[in-house]
Amino acid sequence: MSKHMGKKPGWFLRLLGYKKTQFLTIPLFSIFCSLLAIAVLILLIGKNPLTAFQSLLQGSGWLPKPNYAAGKSILTDLLDMLDAYTPMLFASLAVALAFKAGLFNIGVSGQMLLAGFAATVLVGYQDFPAGLAKPLVVLLGFICGSLVGALIGFLKYRFNVNEVVSSIMLNYIIQYVVGFFIQTRYVDVVSRQSRAIKAAARLTLVDVAWGNMKLRLPLLFIPALLVAVLLYFYLKSTVGGYELKAVGLNRQAARYAGIKVGKRLVSSMTLSGGLAGLAGVTYYLGYYASIKPNELAALGFDSIAVSLLGNSHPLGIIFSSLLITSLDKGSTYMNSTVGVRQEVSSLVTGMILLFSACSAYMRYKVDASLRLALAGFAGTAAALPQQDSADGSGKGGKKA
Amino acid sequence: MNTMIIDGLSYALPLLIIACGGIFSERSGVTNLALEGFLGFGAFTGGLFVALTSSWFANGSTVPMYLAFLFAMLGGGVYALLFALLCIKFRANQVIAGVVINILSVALTGFLTSQINSSVFGEASNKFQLGVSPRWTIPGVSQIPVLGAIFTKFYPFEILIVVLVIFLNYLLYKTRFGMHLRAAGDNPHAVDTAGISVVRVRFAAVVIAGMLAGLGGMCYAYSISTNFSPSIYFGAGYLAIAAMIFGNWKLMPTLAACLIFGLARSGAYQLVGYLKLSSNFTNLAMAIPYALTLLLLIFFSKSNRAPRALGEIYDKAKR
Repeated sequence: MSKHMGKKPGWFLRLLGYKKTQFLTIPLFSIFCSLLAIAVLILLIGKNPLTAFQSLLQGSGWLPKPNYAAGKSILTDLLDMLDAYTPMLFASLAVALAFKAGLFNIGVSGQMLLAGFAATVLVGYQDFPAGLAKPLVVLLGFICGSLVGALIGFLKYRFNVNEVVSSIMLNYIIQYVVGFFIQTRYVDVVSRQSRAIKAAARLTLVDVAWGNMKLRLPLLFIPALLVAVLLYFYLKSTVGGYELKAVGLNRQAARYAGIKVGKRLVSSMTLSGGLAGLAGVTYYLGYYASIKPNELAALGFDSIAVSLLGNSHPLGIIFSSLLITSLDKGSTYMNSTVGVRQEVSSLVTGMILLFSACSAYMRYKVDASLRLALAGFAGTAAALPQQDSADGSGKGGKKA
Repeated sequence: MNTMIIDGLSYALPLLIIACGGIFSERSGVTNLALEGFLGFGAFTGGLFVALTSSWFANGSTVPMYLAFLFAMLGGGVYALLFALLCIKFRANQVIAGVVINILSVALTGFLTSQINSSVFGEASNKFQLGVSPRWTIPGVSQIPVLGAIFTKFYPFEILIVVLVIFLNYLLYKTRFGMHLRAAGDNPHAVDTAGISVVRVRFAAVVIAGMLAGLGGMCYAYSISTNFSPSIYFGAGYLAIAAMIFGNWKLMPTLAACLIFGLARSGAYQLVGYLKLSSNFTNLAMAIPYALTLLLLIFFSKSNRAPRALGEIYDKAKR
C-alpha cells in the first residue's frame, strides 16, 4: 500500500474511492470484473465476447434484434423480461430483509414453492371471478410464505436451530411433499407438470392485444417496486426497522438496549417469508401457470446473488435484480445466435457473487489506501510518523 | 433388512466423510456451508479424469476408479482454496462465502461439463460416464445374520472411508496439528500467542475439508448414478452439516447421525417397496431423512456447544 504514499491518489482509487459513491462504484466494479472474466472465457471458446454481450441485451429487450417473428418486438421482449423480473424482485427483497436482521434466508425457493402450490390448488383450480381470485392469490401467497418463515424464525429463537440448516431441510421437505401431491393428484399427463391454472387467477395478463402485438402484462410489477420503496422507508425511518437493523448488527447490544431480540428475529423472518411467498405466486401463477414437480426454482438462489449485489439495500436491489434477470432472459437468445452456452449466464451470476462477497474487503482496502494516499498528498501528520523531511512524503507510511 | 443395511451404509459413509470435512473446517473456526460445492467440484474433477483417460485403461479396469478418488480429493482441495481465500484472506462473511462457493460450483461444473463434452468428445451431454464400481463380499463373515450385511456387497470406497476416518480421528485428537486446529476454533488468540499462525491452520483445515468432501462426492457419483451429472448436487453437503451439528462437532456422534440418515433413507425406500405403493410414494420417502434431520435438530440444538470462535474472522488486533 505504501506505493500510494506521497502522490495524488491514482485515478482508479479516486474512481472507487470516496465514501459517498462507494455504494455504487464497488458493485459496478464487481460486475465489471466478472464480465471481464467471462469475456476472457468466451474468447477462449473462440467466440466474440462483444457480440455475446450484445445478444444478451437483445434477448432481454434492451437493444433491438435484427429481425422479429410476427407479433414480437422489442416491447414484447422487454415485457417478458419484466414478467420474470417481478418474482425476482420480491425474492431478493425477502433475502435482503432477512440479511438486515442478521439472518440468512436460503429457503426462499421452498417458501415460493409452497406458496405457489397452495395458491394453485386453493384458488387457481377454482372458479372464482378474476376480481376475487387475483387478490386471494396474492393474500394466500403472502400468508403461506410467512408461515414457513415464521417457523424458521421460531425454531431459531426457541430451539437455537441454525436457520440456514433448517431452511434447507424445509426446502427439501417442501420440494418432495409438493412433488408427491402434484404427481398423485394434479398432474397433467402430457406436460408432466401440474395442470395449468385458470386464467382468472393468473397474475400476468397474457396475450393482451396491442396493435399487432401480443403483450404480457405483469400485474404486480408496479406493486413490487412500491414494496421495495416501502421497505426502504420501513428500514430507514420506523422503530421496527431500526430495531431490526440493530438486531442484525449486534444481537447482544440490541438485547442490552431493551430490544426484544427473539420477537424481532421471528417477525423479520415472517416478513421475509411473506415476501418470498409473493415471489412464489408471481412466479408460479404469473410468469408460469403451472408447477414442475420435484424442482426448486433456481430464482430463489439467484436472489441471494441479487441481494448481495444490491448491498441488501431495497433500492439497490431494484437495479441489481434488473441486471441479473436481463442476463438470465438474454441467455437463450445468446445461445441461439452466437452459440455461446446458456450456462454462461449463470456463470456470470456466480462470478458477480464471488466478487460481491469480497466487496467488504475491497471497501476496507480502498478506504485504507485512499486515506494513506490522501494523507501523503496533503502532507498531514496523521498518517506520517515523526521522522519526516520537508517534502511531506515519507517511506514510513507502511505502518499507518 | 439386509438391503436396508447395505444401501444405508453406502449412503451413510460418504456422508460421514463429508461431515468429517465439515468438522475439520468448523473446529478450526471457519463456518463451512460450502461442502456442497466442494463435493460437486471434487466429483467433477474425478469424473473429468475418468472421461479423459477412459481409453488408457483396459475395459472393466478398476484403476481409473481409484485414481478418480485421488483426483476428486485434489479437485475438492483446490476448489476449497478459493473458499479459504474468500473467508480467511478476503474477510468475506463465511456464511455468504459458503453459499457463493456452492452457487459458483453448480454453474461452473455445469458449464464445463457441457463445454468439454461438446468440444473434446463432440457430444451434447451434461454427464461424464464413469465405470461401474465393483462390490465386494467377504465370504464367511457375511453369513452372520443381520451383522453379516455389513460385509456383503459393499463398495471398495467404504473401506477407504473407514480407514480414513480412523486416521482423521487420530489426527484431530492425538496430534499437535489437531490440537492447534481445535484451539484455533476455540481460542485463536491463544494459538497466536503460542507462535502458530491461525491463518495457516485454518487454511489447512479448509483444504482438508475440501479434499474429504471431494472424496465423498466422488463416492456418491459412483454409488448413486455411475456418472457425474448436475444431480450430484442433491443436498448431501447440507445434510452433512446437519449431521455435524447433530453430532456436536465430534467425530463419533457424527458417525451415529450419518448412520441414522442412511438407514432412515434406505428403510423408507424398502417400506415403499414392501407396502407395494406406487413409485410416487418414493417422493415422500425421499423427504423422510430431511424431516428426521429437522426434528432431531430441534431436540439437540439447544444443548449444542459450537466451537467458540466459529464464524469469527480472526483479527490479531483484538487480542
